[in-house]
Amino acid sequence: MTNSYVSSKGVSRKGGTFARRNLIIAAPLLPLLAYLGFFFFWPMFAVVVDSLKNNDHQWSFINFTTIAQKPYSTAFQNSILLGALSALFASIPGAIFAYIIEVRGSERLKGFVTSLSGVLANTGGVPLAFMFIATFGAQGSAIKILKALGVDLYSGGFTLFSFSGIVFVYLYFQIPLMVIIFSPALHSIRSEWRDAAKNLGATPKKFWTTVGIPLLFPSFAASFLLLFASGFAAYATARAMTVGNIALVPLVIGTLVDGNVQVDQANVGKSLAVGMVLISALAMIPYLIIQRRARRWQQ
Amino acid sequence: MAAMRNRLSFALPLTLAVASLFIFLPFGSSAEFSFRSYSQDGKLMHSLAPYRWIVEQPEFLSHLLLSFKIALFAVIFTAILVVPSVAWLHLKAQLFRPLVELITLLPLVIPVVALSIGVQTAFPDWLQSTEYELPLMYVVLALPFTFRILDNGLQAIPLKTISEAARGLGASWIATIFYVIAPVMRRAVAGAFFLTFALSLGEFTLTSLLHWDTFPTWVTSVSQQNIIGAIALSVFSLTFAFLVVFFASLSSSRSKKRMDATE
Repeated sequence: MTNSYVSSKGVSRKGGTFARRNLIIAAPLLPLLAYLGFFFFWPMFAVVVDSLKNNDHQWSFINFTTIAQKPYSTAFQNSILLGALSALFASIPGAIFAYIIEVRGSERLKGFVTSLSGVLANTGGVPLAFMFIATFGAQGSAIKILKALGVDLYSGGFTLFSFSGIVFVYLYFQIPLMVIIFSPALHSIRSEWRDAAKNLGATPKKFWTTVGIPLLFPSFAASFLLLFASGFAAYATARAMTVGNIALVPLVIGTLVDGNVQVDQANVGKSLAVGMVLISALAMIPYLIIQRRARRWQQ
Repeated sequence: MAAMRNRLSFALPLTLAVASLFIFLPFGSSAEFSFRSYSQDGKLMHSLAPYRWIVEQPEFLSHLLLSFKIALFAVIFTAILVVPSVAWLHLKAQLFRPLVELITLLPLVIPVVALSIGVQTAFPDWLQSTEYELPLMYVVLALPFTFRILDNGLQAIPLKTISEAARGLGASWIATIFYVIAPVMRRAVAGAFFLTFALSLGEFTLTSLLHWDTFPTWVTSVSQQNIIGAIALSVFSLTFAFLVVFFASLSSSRSKKRMDATE
């Protein structure tokens, strides 16, 4: 991009002019960058700095040695497991659903599914939690109907407020999220490729093993990583369900922020936040790289 | 492939049936739950009482209006800050597009919980004591999506060529912005506004960690004293969201048809 610009304008050799021109071009972008600097980079910088300070405001790693121990390490384990399991159970049905809608659905249905998924994935958090209490809670309608049919889920030790219960509730925003982010990849498998494979004598199985799956796998892996990050960091649903009995990193940070719990170190919450950022970045950076590469052939 | 398509002919109805069950089981159950009330002798019955209770709460309307106001301001800030920047990137500053794209994606990498702690640590008191802090932050949370929507929308339009054509035909910059750039960007801008508005109405994490009370956080606090009320509020807010999406998709497909007809 740089090269085409330089050659088309031909001012690159006059160094000063080029620099001044760039400055003028960049000037209208400065408000946005300054805004992000103040409302995004500065707060994140403050968290990192504070996480490296002890109670006497001296540089120290004590907060990080604290969160490597119980109970904080358990919270990290739970959150990572929750992210991974909810991503696993959501990505496969979500991908199959998206595929069937993409291949068989009309344009109208596709648009409707996308909008519906958008609502469930983005605005669902708090309402979903209460809807699940209404459905699968001890007094829930589904539980009552099942009981009337002679099946008592609660006698089998089932409860919505357990680890598996949370994974189950998370699927309700994770599956729609999968549909939203995986559909564009499916959209780009061109019917010409299918026809070409067929004309060359490929069976449907051969098409999938040699063309379809190799093409879709990077997008699938990227979507899985995004779902992991989403499940790992989700706060609203877990908070609304008030699942105090399961330690999750976002909930622990929430209680520290509310000041309900006294801790020895004032900055433990900030080191937990830095830990979350690191784990989230481990998933999101590969996601963004894969998406970028995949977009080349998707256009 | 034709044989495979025939074999898959049952797939769509089956999938739609499973998906409907997936959505309507919790939705229907919650709707049933939300009409529950108990008579004097403790018998379960169904009535409009929970919804009457909601409407009688003075906080109901005030929180709803506050959420709408905050969402509106987030849209205005997006309009002032993000829309002109993306247009400028496509008009003159293609050189900086990869850099800006990268920076605007970063809020997606940082968990909102972590950003909330940062805001609480770093921001001065005067900013933390005004509710306008929320729309200012929502713009950042929505930015990865709004940038993508605007950028994708503009990629399909040769903005530079048509604005140069307008200038070449003697239009002033102001005329070019109002009669050329604004109309072609309308669709992408509407998408970005819609997303910002929806995200702001539903935002919970940052709002609750910064100790503000908007509609979603109020619903959670209601649940502590009246779980049926909280469920009724949830049914209300998701139904509202579905209706908005439904009418938005109706009107967009209608305007698309009109555009196709004129072409």
